Amino acid sequence: MAETIRVIGDTLPGADLNAPLLEVDDLRVEFQVRGKRVPAVRGASFTLERGRTLAVVGESGSGKSVTSQAVMGILDTPPGHITGGAVRLHGVDLLDKDEETRRTIRGNHIAIVFQDALSALNPLWSVGFQIGELFRVHRGTGRKEARRRAVELLDLVGIPDAANRVGDYPHQFSGGMRQRVMIAMALALDPEVLIADEPTTALDVTVQAQIMRLLKRIQAERNMGLILITHDLGVVADVADDVAVMYAGEVVERAGIREVFKRPAHPYTKALLRAIPRVDAVGRELEVIGGLPPNPASLPSGCPFHPRCFAAEDKCAAEVPPWLEPAENHGSRCHFAQEVYTDER
Amino acid sequence: MSELTAPVPAAERQASLWSDALRTMIRRPDVIIAGLVLLLVFTMAAFPGLFTDKDPTVCRGREAKLRPDTWFTGDHPLGTDAFGCDFAATLVHGTRPTIVLALTVIIVSVAVGLVLGIYAGYYGGWLDTLISRALDVFIVIPMLMGAILILSLFRGRVSADTLFETIAAPALALSLFGWMEFCRYTRAATLETKNLDYVVAAKCLGASDRRIMFKHILPNAIVPVTAVVPTTIGGIIVTEAALAVLGIGVQPPATSWGVLLSKGTEWAGGGYVYLFAWPLGLLVLTVFAFATFGDALRDALDPKLR
Amino acid sequence: MGRYVIRRLLQALLTLGIVLFLLHYLMALSVQIRGNPALLFFGGDRAPDPAMLEQVERLYGLDSPCYERVGDPCLLPFVDRLQGFAQGDLGTTLNGNRDVAQLLSVYIPNTLRLFVFSVITLVVVSMLLGTWAARHRGRFIDHTVRGTTILADSVPVFLILLTYVYIAAVPLTRWARGIWGSESFMGQVFRPNYNPDYPWTTIIIPGIIVGTVGLATMTRLIRASQLENLGSDFVRTARAKGLKPMRITIVHVIRNSMIPIITGVGFLFAFMLSGAVLTEGVMGIPGMGRMIFQAVQRQEGNLVIVGLTVSAFVVVFVSLVVDLLYAALDPRIRYE
Repeated sequence: MAETIRVIGDTLPGADLNAPLLEVDDLRVEFQVRGKRVPAVRGASFTLERGRTLAVVGESGSGKSVTSQAVMGILDTPPGHITGGAVRLHGVDLLDKDEETRRTIRGNHIAIVFQDALSALNPLWSVGFQIGELFRVHRGTGRKEARRRAVELLDLVGIPDAANRVGDYPHQFSGGMRQRVMIAMALALDPEVLIADEPTTALDVTVQAQIMRLLKRIQAERNMGLILITHDLGVVADVADDVAVMYAGEVVERAGIREVFKRPAHPYTKALLRAIPRVDAVGRELEVIGGLPPNPASLPSGCPFHPRCFAAEDKCAAEVPPWLEPAENHGSRCHFAQEVYTDER
Repeated sequence: MSELTAPVPAAERQASLWSDALRTMIRRPDVIIAGLVLLLVFTMAAFPGLFTDKDPTVCRGREAKLRPDTWFTGDHPLGTDAFGCDFAATLVHGTRPTIVLALTVIIVSVAVGLVLGIYAGYYGGWLDTLISRALDVFIVIPMLMGAILILSLFRGRVSADTLFETIAAPALALSLFGWMEFCRYTRAATLETKNLDYVVAAKCLGASDRRIMFKHILPNAIVPVTAVVPTTIGGIIVTEAALAVLGIGVQPPATSWGVLLSKGTEWAGGGYVYLFAWPLGLLVLTVFAFATFGDALRDALDPKLR
Repeated sequence: MGRYVIRRLLQALLTLGIVLFLLHYLMALSVQIRGNPALLFFGGDRAPDPAMLEQVERLYGLDSPCYERVGDPCLLPFVDRLQGFAQGDLGTTLNGNRDVAQLLSVYIPNTLRLFVFSVITLVVVSMLLGTWAARHRGRFIDHTVRGTTILADSVPVFLILLTYVYIAAVPLTRWARGIWGSESFMGQVFRPNYNPDYPWTTIIIPGIIVGTVGLATMTRLIRASQLENLGSDFVRTARAKGLKPMRITIVHVIRNSMIPIITGVGFLFAFMLSGAVLTEGVMGIPGMGRMIFQAVQRQEGNLVIVGLTVSAFVVVFVSLVVDLLYAALDPRIRYE
């Protein structure tokens, strides 16, 4: 712990350990597509505390992956540009920092696990090299010591016979094992924030559960903040503490996981929940959300969800809904948040 | 999931691939310009009479080496060569052997490559071993080297009375060392295609081997082959010119661009640059057009890396 | 790994063996059809004394009766030839009766020098252009690079060379000598022909010109691999790991881009050999290419065959090296 504080003091002058671990505040990202500026994230806000797990849920194209890349500072610029908002780590806005500072934060304080480990690992280097690289670059560790640490990490994430497999190449591992390697790599420098971007989407269902359990276990052991990005509410039900639901580049609902499952306050969340297959609903037809996710280049007026919303009224097409809080720590961007929350709609 | 999707017949997929490619191509200005150049050259080869009314074999000694001072007008729009032949007529009439030679070589090479590649890939076993080994052997000898070998070992007096006799020897030599690339692409595509669902389905329905090979596999194999054809035609024209400069290609008094170039080099140093520059320009323009066309075709057929 | 190397070596040897036999068979066929090249020794068309002809035939190994029968593969002379090759005896030239092996010992280094400049030119220029085009994908620079390289590739090497020799070389040399003097580097580099006193300097320009062979192909390959690697997930991972841009380029991009570069050089090497024939012929560089050039013009079958054997050997060797480099660079094909 003492070491961590010292490191933060070095890389993040002004870090306040009483401030939230990670705070994303009204983040805005635009993409330059064929000369036009297309908004990908239109004001995403959420807070992550130490030792908690936040699930960011949304359809593909809702801006959740772009948000995670902007937080990491690995957005492809161009075409992507951060046009507003703040990303605060221990109260210090990372977007103000120069690239060199941000680089030292990556891996050290914030790490990420990508969806497809096969393409996210360099096929030409052994997994031991790719994990050890972090120690060698950030800590100046020697080759041998880096390798020893890599073995420890592989062991930690449950790769059998780690000492012998450390020299193997990514293609020699199975899908689940590769994702464990990815996780080992992300954990190498003991980051305080771990972002997992659809970590189980490419995996078999049984392996999915194992990886989720692994993430949960490590998060608890290390008291990390974990951001789970997923399109599947069902996957995160028993791992997440809080949920932020994203639609068309903005957070439309934010609350504790139980709250969201019990009393969603946004029609989109409600529809998502109905689309989860349930054992107690055998024989009933699964509900789907009608229509297609909106094209970010030409969003519907007012509330962007209104063309697909079961509760929409004229007001929804005309006015952008405000952020309402029908209950404490439970916010929703819907004109009728209160009614949806109390199930009157 | 895969058992629910019906295999899309090859013909249908191919049709949309080709029409997509065509649509992408005709929107590109460079392709249109290249196409116009090629059209001009092909017309020149097919109807030389459209471009000149002179007979290139009628030469008057006292009109020798007239410089083309009267640009594009007068009796000799491009001047005359060392023997007093009208140079414009020589140039235009030299187009046909060049183009016919290149087209013959490409057709023979593609046909041989396709057939060998399909048979090797489809049947496998000893046939594949044999063809693959032949491929290894021939690929070791580059086209120009192979043609040099054949033409210098079997050089003899050939009459140049007909087009066929003029180009037969170089065409044969170039085709002999031109089929390998097509064979390799076809073999790879066949290996890839032959285990696809729709081919297996056709087999189960009792289609004959030959029908499967030429009806189902060929349309797939032909895509990578087509993509390299235009560029290869350009390469053949260049190789023909090199052979002519070496003195073993098309034999004078017959003409081709290569022959004109090799004669032109002798005069270019002496101040008659136009005798070198015109065939050079025409050759480079044609090869460039083929290459541009080929490059665009490759992009259109493989849009991933545009 | 060891077994893979051995298998590839045996395959290469087999290919070379077949190539050698094929070359021999073609030559035998040529002798059988066209008559005896030993006659050339006496020059002209008049019939020489039969006893002397026989002596010359023996000298060149053409005395076997198989050369009288059209279609006979002439296996005995083939074995003789292989034995000769194994002992370093490559025969003698018909013109001037010189030892071919000795000629090769002079010619091969010259051609290698030419290739040093060609390969460097090809790799450096296409790397720069390919990278440049990839960074400006789909924009004006991308199209310009593509058009220019295709144009450069469309002009046959020997024509660039002829144009250079006839038009640019003399004024450039005169200009350079006026400033730096005729014995300086600049005074020699633009010469229109090879000068044995400056074996490196006077080979630079022809080397660069041969290096334009396949420029378009190579630039295209490099552009494609750069696009693929720059946008790849593992480069994104490397950035997420907080690596410095320099390290990302060196460790994670260049090694992955090496594979197409090696493929390209291996593939284009055969074409560069062809380019060398006319280049060396035109510039008067005493190398393998000029040897083949002259052998063709003087109708020396044996010399053509030796030249092509060397060229085949080089191509087989290069493709072997390329395959082994693949295995060394890409662990995914290591144990195949």
